[in-house]
Amino acid sequence: MKRKEGQVRDHTLSAYAVVWCRDFRLQAVKRRSGRGLPVALVDDTQRQSIVLCCNALAARSGVEPGIPTVQALARCPLLKVERPSEAAELAAGRSLLETALSWVPGIEETGPGILTLDLATQPPAQWQESAFRLRDRLFFLGLEVVIGLGETPALARLAAQAALHGGVEVWHLRPEERLEKLDQLPLIIAETGSGLNEKLRLWGLQTLGAFARLRREDIASRLGDEGVELWLRLTGRLRRPLRLAKLEQLFEEHHDFEYDLHEREPLLFILQRFIETLVGRVAQTGRAATAVHFLLSFADGSCHAKRLSLPEPSLDSEVLFRLVSGHLESFEMKAAVVALRLRFEPSDPVASQKNLFGAGLRNRHQYEETLKRLRKIVGSDRIGSPRSVDSHRPGLFEDAPLPAELGEGGGRASGPPVTGPTLRRYPAGFRTRVQVRDGIPLRVESSRISGVVINVSGPWKSGGDWWHHGQHWERIEWDVELLNHGLFRLVETGRGWVLEGYYD
Amino acid sequence: MPVTGAAKIDALESLRKQLGRQIKSGTELLQEREQKGICLVTGLDGLDETPGGGLPRGQLTEIIGRGPSRGLGVVMAALLARARGEGRYVMLLDVGAGFSIESFPEGDLESLLRVGCDSAKQAVEALDVATRDENFHLFLLDGRDCEPSDWKSVRTQQWYRILNQLRQREAVAVLFARSEVTGATKHRLEVVSRLALGDLHQERLVILSRTQFQPVRHFTEEKAGALRAG
Repeated sequence: MKRKEGQVRDHTLSAYAVVWCRDFRLQAVKRRSGRGLPVALVDDTQRQSIVLCCNALAARSGVEPGIPTVQALARCPLLKVERPSEAAELAAGRSLLETALSWVPGIEETGPGILTLDLATQPPAQWQESAFRLRDRLFFLGLEVVIGLGETPALARLAAQAALHGGVEVWHLRPEERLEKLDQLPLIIAETGSGLNEKLRLWGLQTLGAFARLRREDIASRLGDEGVELWLRLTGRLRRPLRLAKLEQLFEEHHDFEYDLHEREPLLFILQRFIETLVGRVAQTGRAATAVHFLLSFADGSCHAKRLSLPEPSLDSEVLFRLVSGHLESFEMKAAVVALRLRFEPSDPVASQKNLFGAGLRNRHQYEETLKRLRKIVGSDRIGSPRSVDSHRPGLFEDAPLPAELGEGGGRASGPPVTGPTLRRYPAGFRTRVQVRDGIPLRVESSRISGVVINVSGPWKSGGDWWHHGQHWERIEWDVELLNHGLFRLVETGRGWVLEGYYD
Repeated sequence: MPVTGAAKIDALESLRKQLGRQIKSGTELLQEREQKGICLVTGLDGLDETPGGGLPRGQLTEIIGRGPSRGLGVVMAALLARARGEGRYVMLLDVGAGFSIESFPEGDLESLLRVGCDSAKQAVEALDVATRDENFHLFLLDGRDCEPSDWKSVRTQQWYRILNQLRQREAVAVLFARSEVTGATKHRLEVVSRLALGDLHQERLVILSRTQFQPVRHFTEEKAGALRAG
């Protein structure tokens, strides 16, 4: 079957949404002044103050963009005049992005107050419902938006424009009814140059649908690139990848203190608030924090920066607060704090399949914290899970990290079969005098233990490392039972006898 | 006005009625624990046959061997093996540097975290920190090389804090020592059997089956103090 001109060739379920915050600069500052008031944003930088934009209430009273502020106030005495605020716009932009993240992760900041969302990850049946939900959430935050849905970014933008002009909240331009819907839209919605619009009007074209029905070759020959570009947009053939917003900026909070701060408590209070906010934001992206960047600026110009990493990505506010507050308490603040900055380093949350019969650490964060505290008590080199090293020299082992997961351990323990009691070594071994008859120990005398040998087992000779210069060792072991004392290990080396330890 | 014993009991009864089931008597708690099977079964006949049937959860148990070669190390190794078999982590607070890796099967050490300590005091401090961690259910404090006077520097409150933490997590702590250590311990066993040279080549299970435990009673904090001072 021959495909009709203007029909979409790609029938995959790609879809985009454009969230459009009309008069974004005004809405950004209006959030503070509340609803139900006529508000206008004015430009005071010129010799004469003029209205940049206004809300619907003000417009109803005759206020319109471009008129002097004085005139606007005369027309609407209740008019609330606001000045543009970069900080308010930044905050509103963040709110917009943050809230949109609750819907999809792929978002482009197309312009001030305009977001383009890639809906490819969302089921089509939920697009419209989710769009209304997002609109409601933003309304709650003081931002009034319209949302356009379409199969390409350009068509979604067109749908958003249509929603703006039509006074509806969500406008869905479905592929199967695209031409019919475009028939309802005036040319001005396509945001083309006035020259092209005028030319099309003179041709007798009133709607975008009528334009989309024209043949591409005819448009190319008569209207050139601008016409072709519009035709491609309207027919859904103009696709572009989204320039996804860098979300890192969302995961940062900072506070400049208006006064010098010497105490830790207020800092902890602010830190807790920051952490809760950032946790919420990171959670909306479906990720978790793998590290926290902490920066304190001091009144003397110095600063303290630290990257605090977590054993595994987490979004547990309590864990994150403990991590940061623990660090805050670990160093001395030599000057007053003037600014605090906190940034979360996001990462994919841990998702691992545990062994069916295995086990693991219940709370890795708590374990890491315990380790940290234990290291403070006993030293950092004395904690670990003992593992044998590649040597036959007795007593050598190394400390390995405790595995976070334990495999199935129900069967027999690995390693050599175990017989006999365990050996407990004396820290450095005791120099010992040993009476020997026919090469067999008879009596042992040392500062720790002295006694008569009533039973003996040995000698057990061993040696090694002769292939390493200066590390050669050789020893002869005897296991002896001393009268009224117990079982001991005696070792004869080239330097004499040593009471190495006892069996227990 | 002096308060009589009967008045105290009445006041307590009235308080209990007001608070409903929020407070429980010691007997009730004991019964509850017995019903819940609140002891950690070790698989060691000698230990499991003692009153309570194993190592009581939420408690510190002292296992005493008055001198070397009583078999405390074998008991420790058995507890480690049992914990590994159940896939649980164990923390060993090792006073001194006497740990010998060749005495344990490699696999049993997988779930063991060893903390080397210089002194009894340091080990108890470490135990105080460690018992707050929910990842470990069994804590072994190896104080076999400590002198009775070494425990003197440990504050009594610290023992009770540890007990409280153990109780909260229902974890088990076992203190291996040469003599009684603290009056805070309610469960104390003495290993009375001795090892002989022939045991060096004997299967551990056989050694364990011959190990004899005997409950040690009536050891108070005062006695502990007197012992340390003595």
